[in-house]
Amino acid sequence: MADADSSGEQTGAVELVDVVKMFGDFTAVDRINLSVRPGEFISLLGPSGCGKTTTLRMLAGFEEPTSGELRISGQPIAGTPPHKRDVNTVFQAYALFPHMSVAENVAYGLRQKSVGKADMALRVAEALDMVKMRPLADRRPRQLSGGQQQRVALARALVNRPSLLLLDEPLGALDRKLREEMQIELKLLQSQLGITFIFVTHDQEEALSMSDRIAVMLDGRIEQLGDPYTIYEHPASAFVAGFIGQQNFFRGRALEGGAGIEANGSTLTSSRPADSLAVGSDALAAVRPEAISVSETDPGAAVNVLRGQLAGISHLGDVIQFVVSTGGGREILARLPRTKAPRLETGQTVWCSWAADHTYLFTAEQADLVLADPASDKAEVLAGN
Amino acid sequence: MTTDTVETADPGSAAPAPGKPAKRRRARSPKFLLAIPAWTWFILFFALPVGLVLLYSLGEQVSTFVQKPNVSPSVWSLDNFGKAFDPAYAPIFWRTLRISITGTFICLVISVPFAYWLATKVSPKWRGLLLGLVLVPFWTNFLVRTIGWQLILAPNGFVSQKLQDIGITSGDLALLYTQTGVQIGVVYNYLPLMILPLYVAFERIDPALTEASKDLGANRLKTFVQVTMPLAVPGAIAGMLLVFIPLMGDYITASLLGGAKGSMAGVLVAEQFLNTFNWSRGAAMAVIMIGFILAALAVFAGIGLVLRAIVRARRRVSLPEAVA
Ligand SMILES: Nc1ncnc2c1ncn2[C@@H]1O[C@H](COP(=O)(O)OP(=O)(O)O)[C@@H](O)[C@H]1O
Ligand SMILES: [Mg+2]
Repeated sequence: MADADSSGEQTGAVELVDVVKMFGDFTAVDRINLSVRPGEFISLLGPSGCGKTTTLRMLAGFEEPTSGELRISGQPIAGTPPHKRDVNTVFQAYALFPHMSVAENVAYGLRQKSVGKADMALRVAEALDMVKMRPLADRRPRQLSGGQQQRVALARALVNRPSLLLLDEPLGALDRKLREEMQIELKLLQSQLGITFIFVTHDQEEALSMSDRIAVMLDGRIEQLGDPYTIYEHPASAFVAGFIGQQNFFRGRALEGGAGIEANGSTLTSSRPADSLAVGSDALAAVRPEAISVSETDPGAAVNVLRGQLAGISHLGDVIQFVVSTGGGREILARLPRTKAPRLETGQTVWCSWAADHTYLFTAEQADLVLADPASDKAEVLAGN
Repeated sequence: MTTDTVETADPGSAAPAPGKPAKRRRARSPKFLLAIPAWTWFILFFALPVGLVLLYSLGEQVSTFVQKPNVSPSVWSLDNFGKAFDPAYAPIFWRTLRISITGTFICLVISVPFAYWLATKVSPKWRGLLLGLVLVPFWTNFLVRTIGWQLILAPNGFVSQKLQDIGITSGDLALLYTQTGVQIGVVYNYLPLMILPLYVAFERIDPALTEASKDLGANRLKTFVQVTMPLAVPGAIAGMLLVFIPLMGDYITASLLGGAKGSMAGVLVAEQFLNTFNWSRGAAMAVIMIGFILAALAVFAGIGLVLRAIVRARRRVSLPEAVA
């Protein structure tokens, strides 16, 4: 990194170096390394209990790391109490002060810094305008809906103009429509203000739609760090592949040169060779439902073809989802745009096919994370969220 | 079997005609039933006795040897109140008020840090034990406990002896049968009543609120003053009422530890009933005490409201006019 006097350019940069947090002998955060650029919107994405909140709490100052170093804006922050950090948090349940009005909640941080009355009123008004809550300035938090409370929590944090904003599943309590609206607003605000956002979520769609980069976490570690495209198109592990979107997983033996797997009598070919796979080793192949075509006749020329019985059809708006049973309880999930989907009847024989570059190969290490029944070599469908 | 649904599968049953709301067969369970035990208790042990006291206060003493006063309407008068307002009693009334206010205040000052510590710093597995210890004195009879304090405060007791041995005091401890002695006794006797509601109040505060406060730049003291304490005010008020009201009428502590110098109104009232058999005068004094307590509470409530208004005014943010 740059030298010490360049901290001006580093305002809002965050660095985690080998950060470990133990609770007793339980490791909640296990050697995390992460470097966040100033003004970046980064998401920590992972299942419940993977250490997202703990990571945020260490940055906010509510937990001290067991080992490793944290730097904010280039400065080590070990031992700095929360109230002295240039960081603000939007808490999971908002944590608005129930005995204060909306305006008083927003003014709280400014009052601690002894900002003058006139200036305070101006900045509070500005922050409330920003989240469109000015008309409700005199209400108490309990008189607000979840979405309104969320906006107040955001204004209360942003009014302090921190160099880093931490958000712990801030949209988790909102209904779907409101959540999607807030995702857009939040992203817009962040790009206008240029403040670094570290955004915690367990919702992969949310992370994909908002983030500059995503850190996918599992068991206190970062499985993969990358922009949404990379995370989606080049998952580094079977877990990431399964957690982002949905996957059909197949278990089998790796072929020569990592060119595919032999699963259940069929050969699944991949044009994304996984060099780490030794020939004959236990391996997983993953194919996204939207990469699979379903047809009434044998597509012949296709590289990967599996025949089965059509077990179910669901209409999901502009896409149609097919469940194809390939025998022995194995099912394949395929999703086609309505315009490209053939008219099919359940029970009829169909062919599933996909191109070689849609097959991802992984070692079977994480088989028990992504397969419902890891012991068998059945084709499995992992339902992501 | 439901009577609410109109679409019943049984056409033969007395289904209500479509369009008409279904009549509820089962009567709505009367909710006031739940309050009957409390009302019974309240009427039998509060309203009736207070009524009786009021009645007695209007009557007159028959003779110094007859306990029951004459309460026939023909003798009703307010004379007893006039007598009870005897200037000779005034110092005792004022002392009672002083001891009660001081006692409540000392209990509050001791309880706030303790309850806060217990609710927020002690690990949950120890909290139960410590709360139990707070209540230990309640396992012993009030009277016995207070007699215990007689031994502790006695001029020739072991505490007095120890203090002199160490050299902290030179003479005997002069606390028993003084106002200070009573003060110590009441704080000891009423402390748990202050700690418990405060503990509950602190315990119920969402830790995320204090974290949010620190996150927004307030140190621990500021967080306590601006967030924790305001949210615990209901607990503090409950505790103050629980201590102040019974303390104003306390009889045992004052009579055992107070002697002549530390006597309280409760002792005075008891004397009228037990020694001079002047139930009417005693009842009038009791009525005056009730009025006194209510007046004191009204004054405190007024002070509380003023303080609250000041705090709110200082916190208020008046936003500039929105641009139309
Ligand atoms: N104060 C604590 N004491 C003990 N264990 C904790 C504590 N805080 C979190 N944990 C554990 O650490 C793990 C990670 O928790 P957390 O960071 O809250 O996960 P996430 O936010 O990703 O759901 C969980 O297994 C949780 O039980
Ligand atoms: Mg969490």
